[in-house]
Amino acid sequence: MLQHVFNGLVGGSFLALVALGLAVIFGMLRVVNFAHGAIYMLGAFGALALTGEAFWAALVVVPVGLGLLGMVLERTVVNRLARLDPLYNFLLTFGLTLVLQDLVKWRYGVQSSPYPTPAGLGGSVDFGLFDFPAYRVFVLVVAAIVCFGVWFLLSRTRLGLIVRACTERPELSAALGVNVGRWVTPVFGFGVALAGLAGVLAAPMRAVHPLMGADLIIVVFAVVVIGGLGSIFGSVAAAFAIGVLQALSEAYLDSALVSQILVYVVMAAVLLWRPSGLFGREESPA
Amino acid sequence: MLHIEELSASYGEAKVLTSAGLSVAQGEVATLCGRNGAGKTTLLRCVMGLHPGSGKVSLNGTDLRGRKPFERARLGLGWVPDDRGAYATLTVAESLALPPMRSGWSLEQIYEAFPNLYARRGSMSTKLSGGEQQMLALARALRMGSRVLLCDEPTEGLSPLLVQRVGEILRQAKQQGIAVLLVEQNLHFAAEVADSYYLLASGRVQQTSPADKDLLTYLGV
Amino acid sequence: MRKIALLCGVALVAAGCGGGGPSTSGGGKLSDDKVVFGVLNDQSGVYAQLSGKNSIKAVELAIADYKAKYGDKAVAKNIVVEAADHQNKPDVANAKAAELYDRKAVDAILDVPTSSAALKVADVAKEKKKLYFNITAATMDLTGKSCNKYTFHYAYDTYMLANGTGKTVTDQGAKSWYLVYPDYLFGQDMTASFEAAVTKAGGKVVAKDPAPFPNASGDFSTYLLKAPNLNPKPDVLGTMQAGAELVALVKQYNEFKLREKGVGLAVGLMFLTDIHSLTPDALAGTTYTDAWYWNYDLRNREFADRFFQATGTRPTFAHAANYSAALQYLEAVQANGTDDADTIVKYLEGRTVEDVFLRSGKIRAEDHRVVHDAYLAKVRSSKEVKEPWDYVDVLKTIPAADAFRAPSADCKL
Repeated sequence: MLQHVFNGLVGGSFLALVALGLAVIFGMLRVVNFAHGAIYMLGAFGALALTGEAFWAALVVVPVGLGLLGMVLERTVVNRLARLDPLYNFLLTFGLTLVLQDLVKWRYGVQSSPYPTPAGLGGSVDFGLFDFPAYRVFVLVVAAIVCFGVWFLLSRTRLGLIVRACTERPELSAALGVNVGRWVTPVFGFGVALAGLAGVLAAPMRAVHPLMGADLIIVVFAVVVIGGLGSIFGSVAAAFAIGVLQALSEAYLDSALVSQILVYVVMAAVLLWRPSGLFGREESPA
Repeated sequence: MLHIEELSASYGEAKVLTSAGLSVAQGEVATLCGRNGAGKTTLLRCVMGLHPGSGKVSLNGTDLRGRKPFERARLGLGWVPDDRGAYATLTVAESLALPPMRSGWSLEQIYEAFPNLYARRGSMSTKLSGGEQQMLALARALRMGSRVLLCDEPTEGLSPLLVQRVGEILRQAKQQGIAVLLVEQNLHFAAEVADSYYLLASGRVQQTSPADKDLLTYLGV
Repeated sequence: MRKIALLCGVALVAAGCGGGGPSTSGGGKLSDDKVVFGVLNDQSGVYAQLSGKNSIKAVELAIADYKAKYGDKAVAKNIVVEAADHQNKPDVANAKAAELYDRKAVDAILDVPTSSAALKVADVAKEKKKLYFNITAATMDLTGKSCNKYTFHYAYDTYMLANGTGKTVTDQGAKSWYLVYPDYLFGQDMTASFEAAVTKAGGKVVAKDPAPFPNASGDFSTYLLKAPNLNPKPDVLGTMQAGAELVALVKQYNEFKLREKGVGLAVGLMFLTDIHSLTPDALAGTTYTDAWYWNYDLRNREFADRFFQATGTRPTFAHAANYSAALQYLEAVQANGTDDADTIVKYLEGRTVEDVFLRSGKIRAEDHRVVHDAYLAKVRSSKEVKEPWDYVDVLKTIPAADAFRAPSADCKL
């Protein structure tokens, strides 16, 4: 039981990192970034491009590089959507996903690419009641540190204060003298970098292929909706909760269908009960 | 201080303001009346730059056209919105710290004037009572050192005691030379603080007075 | 006068469409004067590597061989390959198949991975009365309750895989099995076939778990955590996952060190490209059933070399089977001087065939199962790999007569 919960937390780590980036971006820009899954995939391929031995370097270089790419994308294309119908941001970011996927397919093919477990993390950690692959423990620790770091940044620094204010009520914050626009690009880049980090972490333990993000992002969207669109704490909490729920349902229920649709059932239930998600707030009227 | 000329704006397809104009001088409280849906809030939003409008808006002689909301705020517009502008993710203290300019009242002055806010400085803003939220919105604008307060129905839903308190604060601001553009339905309250009256109807603004029978019948008072 | 000429023309065209009119070309009785293959498969998704665009190359190799063999005497002078992507979706497969037969004048559809999609195409073939050689789908229903006159099941099926792997691994001493399968037609079919094969060989399935399909997170750790703690503890974990999901599962199998914990690994369906993705070390020692292996003998190798020149990779069994099906179809056209579907079906039924893919091959008349030798293979460790792509040792040949199940009573042609 305990090990399944633990395992669920590891699965939740990926959801949390990707969802966190998505929530930060949505909060700040009101853009639902469909390309987020493709960025996760790029993260894994970025790790691949740097080859296995350079895993530790990839852990830093790839997210930073993707973050910069994200900032360029925000400056060049995404910011043009700010005042348009949300349909356009769907079309753009979805199109971006296809372009990125096809670029990777073109370079690496559609098959899964091999990636070894990083040196030093191949063993197991003994927890007394059960042992667990060291790499998974590492993933959980990294995700926890990042989530805590983001939480600290957001709740204890002036930067966080501004980001929270802009995320929650961008218009009001502007009327109070905050230059919301100035923070948009770095926040977008930061959100993208988080997805990239999740991708690098996924490379050694999941199949690295061009569609890996497309599969994951649907679940992440459900997670973000459950947590409350734009709610940073909600997204992280929902990600870990869904991770654990999924692991337990796979372990103890005999129907794959249930574990497969579980996240959507939870989403539907939450939406019926609280239309703005567990930790979300109604958008204030203009 | 604040000067509005030939301001027009639409809300969707409907034209809400057609050539509206008014001015508020230093230390003056100007009350803007009008029926629900007349466009009072839209007018304030246009002044703040939150709603697109054509026409001239100037502050202290500075033309505000083409300036973004945050620039207008930094030039001295204080935003006290109708929903009281409380954040669910910011505590009272954080709300006061958010605006980048803090040239007005010191924190000590604020907490002295608003002891409730001091007592609840660690609470999330939206957890405050309606009256406390209103005080917070006013306190925030005063802390910013705004020269013109744009107050949208600050007394709505407040108890008589609190309405009185809002009045005291506005008078205090007025003494410090701050101009106030007050959107208000409560004429009794307006009578306590206002120096001038404007009626917004059919997209136009005309100066009036509380003794004006037309105004009273128009508002159904 | 002109009017009459026009009417004659119309009549001629109408007769031609009916298929009974006199042919105006000298080459033979071919519909539209050409033979058209339709390669319908997954061209960008999870199965794109194991068949995909390279299946088209394989068919082109068959066309080149046919032309080289018959030269001027070739009945089919104009041979065209049309390709379509069914994205592994049954409804897309259905629409694309109809489009290929009707609008692209396709005479025979080839390939079609994904069982549910493959069955849809069988229905279309039956309705349009056109040929369909399924290569890459595994479902037994193609030669069971969904069989029909125009559909041939060519390369492999779940019985072949289970009978080979399930029986052999059990015989080798792994008596208790834990089966994990993707929860859709293919996985359910495979699991039923494996359970039957294991039980028949004196083994027992102690547990079986359906995993979500498609598995959005690519994570199978729940089952891998569960495996060593089952009571009784299984000797072997049998996975029915395919493509990228198989890759993820094996990766995690190694991560959880199940081999060290005494739980072996048996793979239901594996393609050469999967081993390449995972690197042989991730799978070293794993036994599985292969329908064909490129370095089995010189004849296979020769084909594999040509394929490598055309594509840069070695062929999977699916590629070789696509080549074979196209070649056998063209031979049938040559022998009969026509591409009329009913004539070709009649010619193929019960026929003994032999080519680079089909060893001891026979096209059964009863259910249109194409039977041939299959192979039990074991993945080498990277130390044993002497040449790129040469990843397995063939342990034994399973004779055609034993490799496939007897014709099912469910199939009524």
